[in-house]
Amino acid sequence: MAEPAKAKTSKRPPKIEAETNPDATPEQRIAGTLRWALPLASLVAAIAVGIAYGVGTAILILAGGVLLAVIAILWASVRTLAGDAPITLEEALALGAPSAAEEQKRAVLQALKDLEYERSVGKIGERDYEELLQRYRTEAKRLLRAVDEDLAPARARASAYLAEQLGRPEKKPAAAEPAKRPERRTCASCQTDNDVDAVFCKKCGAKMASTSKGRQDATA
Amino acid sequence: MWQSLPLFGKLVLYAVMIAAAYTFSVAIVSGRGRPRYLQAARLGAYGTVSLIGLAVLCLAYAFVTHDFRIKYVAHYSDRSMTTGYLLTSLWGGQDGSLLWWLFLLSVYTAVCVRWLKGRFRELQPYIIATLMVIVLFFCVLMTFAANPFATSIAGAHVDGDGLNPLLQNFYMIIHPPSLYTGFVGCSVPFAFAIAALVTGRLDNEWVAACRKWMLFAWLFLSIGNALGMLWAYEELGWGGYWAWDPVENAAFLPWLTATAFVHSMMIQERRGMLKVWNVSLVLLTFFLTIFGTFLTRSGLIASVHSFAQSNIGTYFIWFLGFLIAACVGLVVWRVPRMRSEGRIEAVLSREAAFLANNWAFLGIMVFILVATTFPRISEWLMNQQSTVGPTFYNAWLPPAGLILFALMGIGPLLAWRKTSSQMFKRSFFAPTAAGLIMVILHLSFGRALRFPAFVTPDRIYEGFVGTALQKLGGVLPLVSTFLCAFNVAVVFQEYKRGIAARRRAASESFLGALVNLVAKARHRYGGYIVHLGIVVMFMGFTGHAWGVDKEVSLKPGETLQVDHYQLKYVSPRMEVDQTKRMIFADLAVTETSSGATVGQATPAKFIYRKMPESPTTEVSMLHSIRDDLYVVVGMVSPETKVATFQVHVNPLVSWIWAGVLVLILGAVVSMWPDVAVQEARGWSYLRLAGGLTSSLLFGLIVALTPARAFGQSSSSLHAGSVEINDPVEHALFSKLLCQCGDCARLPLSTCTCSTADSTRSEIRSRLRSGTTPEVIMADYAREYGPAALSVPPNKGALRAIYIVPVVVALGGLGLVFTVVRRWKKRGEDDATPTAAPGVPTPPDAYDAKLDEELKRLDG
Repeated sequence: MAEPAKAKTSKRPPKIEAETNPDATPEQRIAGTLRWALPLASLVAAIAVGIAYGVGTAILILAGGVLLAVIAILWASVRTLAGDAPITLEEALALGAPSAAEEQKRAVLQALKDLEYERSVGKIGERDYEELLQRYRTEAKRLLRAVDEDLAPARARASAYLAEQLGRPEKKPAAAEPAKRPERRTCASCQTDNDVDAVFCKKCGAKMASTSKGRQDATA
Repeated sequence: MWQSLPLFGKLVLYAVMIAAAYTFSVAIVSGRGRPRYLQAARLGAYGTVSLIGLAVLCLAYAFVTHDFRIKYVAHYSDRSMTTGYLLTSLWGGQDGSLLWWLFLLSVYTAVCVRWLKGRFRELQPYIIATLMVIVLFFCVLMTFAANPFATSIAGAHVDGDGLNPLLQNFYMIIHPPSLYTGFVGCSVPFAFAIAALVTGRLDNEWVAACRKWMLFAWLFLSIGNALGMLWAYEELGWGGYWAWDPVENAAFLPWLTATAFVHSMMIQERRGMLKVWNVSLVLLTFFLTIFGTFLTRSGLIASVHSFAQSNIGTYFIWFLGFLIAACVGLVVWRVPRMRSEGRIEAVLSREAAFLANNWAFLGIMVFILVATTFPRISEWLMNQQSTVGPTFYNAWLPPAGLILFALMGIGPLLAWRKTSSQMFKRSFFAPTAAGLIMVILHLSFGRALRFPAFVTPDRIYEGFVGTALQKLGGVLPLVSTFLCAFNVAVVFQEYKRGIAARRRAASESFLGALVNLVAKARHRYGGYIVHLGIVVMFMGFTGHAWGVDKEVSLKPGETLQVDHYQLKYVSPRMEVDQTKRMIFADLAVTETSSGATVGQATPAKFIYRKMPESPTTEVSMLHSIRDDLYVVVGMVSPETKVATFQVHVNPLVSWIWAGVLVLILGAVVSMWPDVAVQEARGWSYLRLAGGLTSSLLFGLIVALTPARAFGQSSSSLHAGSVEINDPVEHALFSKLLCQCGDCARLPLSTCTCSTADSTRSEIRSRLRSGTTPEVIMADYAREYGPAALSVPPNKGALRAIYIVPVVVALGGLGLVFTVVRRWKKRGEDDATPTAAPGVPTPPDAYDAKLDEELKRLDG
């Protein structure tokens, strides 16, 4: 499901937080610092200026800070859109959010708990309880199985990846398993590496060979 | 840059539009199979939000630096105002309050996008896209119709207009922002519903996701409405708290649908039913918030809250049309996906009770909606002018409210699927007994306590309908007593059973069991606390039936007897400060029977320098648990010191405010965050609790921050006094509307302006000369047109005002029955009802896994 990160093609572990990861690109390091430094700096400056020159100027300073933030955020947004920005681990994990089956599983588990409660306060007859319990349990097991099956290929890939990383002593093992690793496609005309679902090449703009639409249909 | 600050502000608004449009398109693309773009969309949303913040800061700067080139700044501030007041004028007027609305929406968006991180992957793109469409609408509205950065053609003023002193009033200041928090909060559940419709993921997912958001919005709608009542009660000086003003109704309508949703979503969670209905309720709630804003802003219907007329109405109509088209289209498209999974198995089931509850909520909603818009409908369709005043609502709605109140008690007693007759008897015995005992107590002691079981309300119509309504209204106090006791008993019984079950299962102490019970099922038990709050509020509403009003002129030293109070007029007293003269009339209040001192009442007239022609009325109140003594002073003669007083004894009003506090407590319990098991460490719980607390605090701060009055002109609201002497006059005055042209749709019985005063004395003399009230009403209608009556006459096409809602409600009831029957039939056709997904399977490895997951869920 997750889109690949550019960094991963060079077989490096995924980026973690900029501050903690020595492999972070300068851009990520700047972004990581800006995230807390910019609001803090503009707030401090605004308070200081506010005390010295009055509220009006403080508001101006704050506005300036916000404007900078707008620029930084939109910059990051456009970079991500263009596919230039490396993806952080946090983002990668966010992309692999729980599937529909997992959400449903949660609801069914909740229903089972409620059922238990209703029986304990005597709101439901023994026969109804048995019947409902059976139904919910079956549904829950079906969902558990579905979740497992869903995750199986990703798990296999993850263990393969871990094994590969652990087998190379010069590299530290990744802190956590990355999201699943889809294959890349190269452009027929300029040989640029493209996303697997790309319709046009991101460098030369040539139309890519047709891909399976299966995934899109599944999500639609 | 500040030479062109207005221009810069406008540019920022354009930039917001562009950023929102960008975010919208990226989000849509990311939803169409490019998940990686989602990050770009999220960042785009943050960018849009920051830009809105920038616009607000620009306007704040303009206010602080007195940039009177900007019309809005010149209109709502002057150089004498302090910085704090200047900043609150940001959202004081229409253009700014739209920006304020947008700002609140942006705060909601930011929090929502942050909260969505790593959740609801499939829904997220469309949630962001929907929120951006709403942002776009408000941006367009501001840029083209109500630009807060618009400059005046005549150039900068030397000083601004400042603020009408009448508007500087605490309660007037606090209730609109709270309502706004609630109104805008409905956008997030709406975005979830749209996302669910677009993706076709219409299972429990989106309902569970938007539960807390809806509860938050609901809570603030409740607080906002309650503060609105408090405002009317404390400040308007006519002795009541709810006048069924179109704007009050506009705020009440989404509350009704939101409450209906909070209940019916449980059916979807538990039984997978009512999917279409739930989606529609959320869509309708949002629609009504926009519709309410439209009503307030367009001046479509006369109201005490009307804003300056402007052309933003057209934009709202287009947006409302777009909303209807989009929502109906999406729902119709997705209906095949929303087939009900469950079926109703018995009429005596929780499902059926919820259906009935939704029917009642929606019925009341339709009734109020029709009545609110009736003046326009009757003008367009029947070419007849009419006005619908509080008298009409007060006769029709209490019975409907009590049906709802009864359902509130019955619902929790019924089990899901079906309630066996044995279980039914067991659950209903104690509450019914409690109710009957209270009825007997009420019948025997009510009169002695001056809370009689039966009353005689005013008749609003001649003929059968009028008599029926009057009879119905007469027994309402007793019915209400029964239902209050019944509901309280239900809640206690539910708690008792839960605690007993816990103590049986694990030997816990009573207190421990109580705490654990609530902690384990916060939605349920928080909901019961909310019910308890509603019961307490209903007791307060019932008190209205026993109110006593009196009006009298007194010389210093004379006394007045009202209900159980004795008031002695001591003397008038004058104080002066920089902005006004204050004339107080001191009254010593004692208990008639015991002679004990209750306190001192000091009603007053304030005469502001800026507008000496319209003195304001300051109410004086003595609160107690039993009743409020509500004293207003009319005129005080400077020579003789004779003063006219209106005295109202309003029983049980304090209970309403107490009930609201209980309701808030219940809602907070319901919303208290769940801790995911994998992060159940002490600090993470603290963090979540802190998150909720701070969001509530933020909401409260937003709600309570002074926002000045939204530019409404209320000059007539505070001025003058009401003079009413006996029940016949009261009944008549409440049916006639004041025709001074300023105080729209206030009946003569409550309007305090001088025109109303002279009309009253004129009518009074006619009454004395023997003219019947019917003749006076007919003459009044002939002189001022049918719109001068507060209850549309019960004849001809005007009957539609109650026939349409009643027919709709009955039709709804029929629909509910059909649905129940069809679902029941479907169940019976199904030869093996349990077979659907539930064929018992042989135990396998997943059984152990399931048990483990369940245990983990218990924490």
